[in-house]
Amino acid sequence: MSVFLQPLQTVTVGSGGASTVTFTSIPQTYTDLVVMVSARTNRATYALDELVMTFNGNSSSVYSQTNLDGNGSSAVSGRITSTTQFTTTFATADGAATSNTFSNSTQYIPNYTSSNYKQIISDATIESNVSSFGYAINTLRAGLFSSTAPITSISWTGIGGQLDQYSKFSLYGVLRQGI
Amino acid sequence: MYPIATTTVGSGGVSSITFSSIPQTFTHLQLRGTAQSTGGGNTYCVLSFNSDTTSSHYNDHYLTGTGSTVVSGADVGTVPGMAYNNITYTTSFGVQITDLLDYTNTNKYKTMRSITGYDANGSGQVNLHSGLWLSTSAITSLTVSVASGNFASGSTFQLYGITTA
Repeated sequence: MSVFLQPLQTVTVGSGGASTVTFTSIPQTYTDLVVMVSARTNRATYALDELVMTFNGNSSSVYSQTNLDGNGSSAVSGRITSTTQFTTTFATADGAATSNTFSNSTQYIPNYTSSNYKQIISDATIESNVSSFGYAINTLRAGLFSSTAPITSISWTGIGGQLDQYSKFSLYGVLRQGI
Repeated sequence: MYPIATTTVGSGGVSSITFSSIPQTFTHLQLRGTAQSTGGGNTYCVLSFNSDTTSSHYNDHYLTGTGSTVVSGADVGTVPGMAYNNITYTTSFGVQITDLLDYTNTNKYKTMRSITGYDANGSGQVNLHSGLWLSTSAITSLTVSVASGNFASGSTFQLYGITTA
C-alpha cells in the first residue's frame, strides 16, 4: 500500500449524469488532500464549463482566489474576492467541445484539518479541440477558504450543466513523515 | 502511487525513450523527469502514445512565464505528438511532472497536463502544458522524444501508476 498518495474516495459519474459530486466524511488523519478531476458537462453552446467547488457545504462569502489563465493565444491574471465558492476546476462541455474530450486537473489542499484558514492550489487544462474557443485553457489558481473549520466534505457542481457520464473525481490523502 | 519503470540516459545520449507494456491496472499515470539536450540551442520534448506519431492526432497548448513576460500558445496538428517541457543544452536540466488521467478509459480522448520548468541563473522559464491525443485507445506505451539533438547523459524519466479507492 502506498502511503505517499493514499486513495480515499472516487466518484465516477454514471449514465444519466450528475448535478453534483460530493466527497463526505473525509478522514481527518492525513496532512494534505489531493483531488484529481477528469470532467465534462452537458453545458450548451460552450466548449468549457467552470466547476463550482465548496467545502463543508459552506456557501457564505468565505472564498477568494487568484488566477493565471492562458487560452492558447493570450494570458491574463485576475482575482475574485469574498465570493461564495471556488472556481478552480474546469470541465469540457457538450455545447461545442469535441466528443470524448475531458478536462484534466489536480487540486492540492494542504493542512486541511488545521484551525487556520485553508489554502488551495490548482492546475487545470481543458483541451476541447474546437478552434472557435481557442481549443484550450491552461490555468493555475490559488484560493483561500477563510474558515477555521477542518475540511470534512468537498462538492463540485457545473455552472452551466450537469456532469457527464465518465467524469471522474479521485480523492487522495497525503501523509507527512512520522505518521 | 507506485513506480512502474525508470529510465536514465547513459553516455552518448538517446533521441527518445519509451515505456512499453504499461500495466492497465492503475487509474492514472504520472511521468516525472529531468532532461537536458545535447543540441546547440533550446528545444523541447514531444510526448506520443502507442507508437502513434500522426501529427493530426495531437494538439497542445502552453502557458509560460519567462521571468519577464507571460505568454500562451498552441500547436494544433503540427507536431508528431504533444510538444512540452522546454529544455536546454546548458547545465540546467528541465524538470517535468506530467499527469495522464483515466488512461485506460476507451470512452475518452486522452488529455495531458504537465508542469515543467528550468532555471539557469539569469534565464529560465516555468510552464503549464496541456495536450490532447485524439484517440480513445487505452495508453499502453508512451514515448518521450527530444525535438532536436539527443537527451543528454543523466536525463531521467520515471513512470508511476496511481490507483483510486
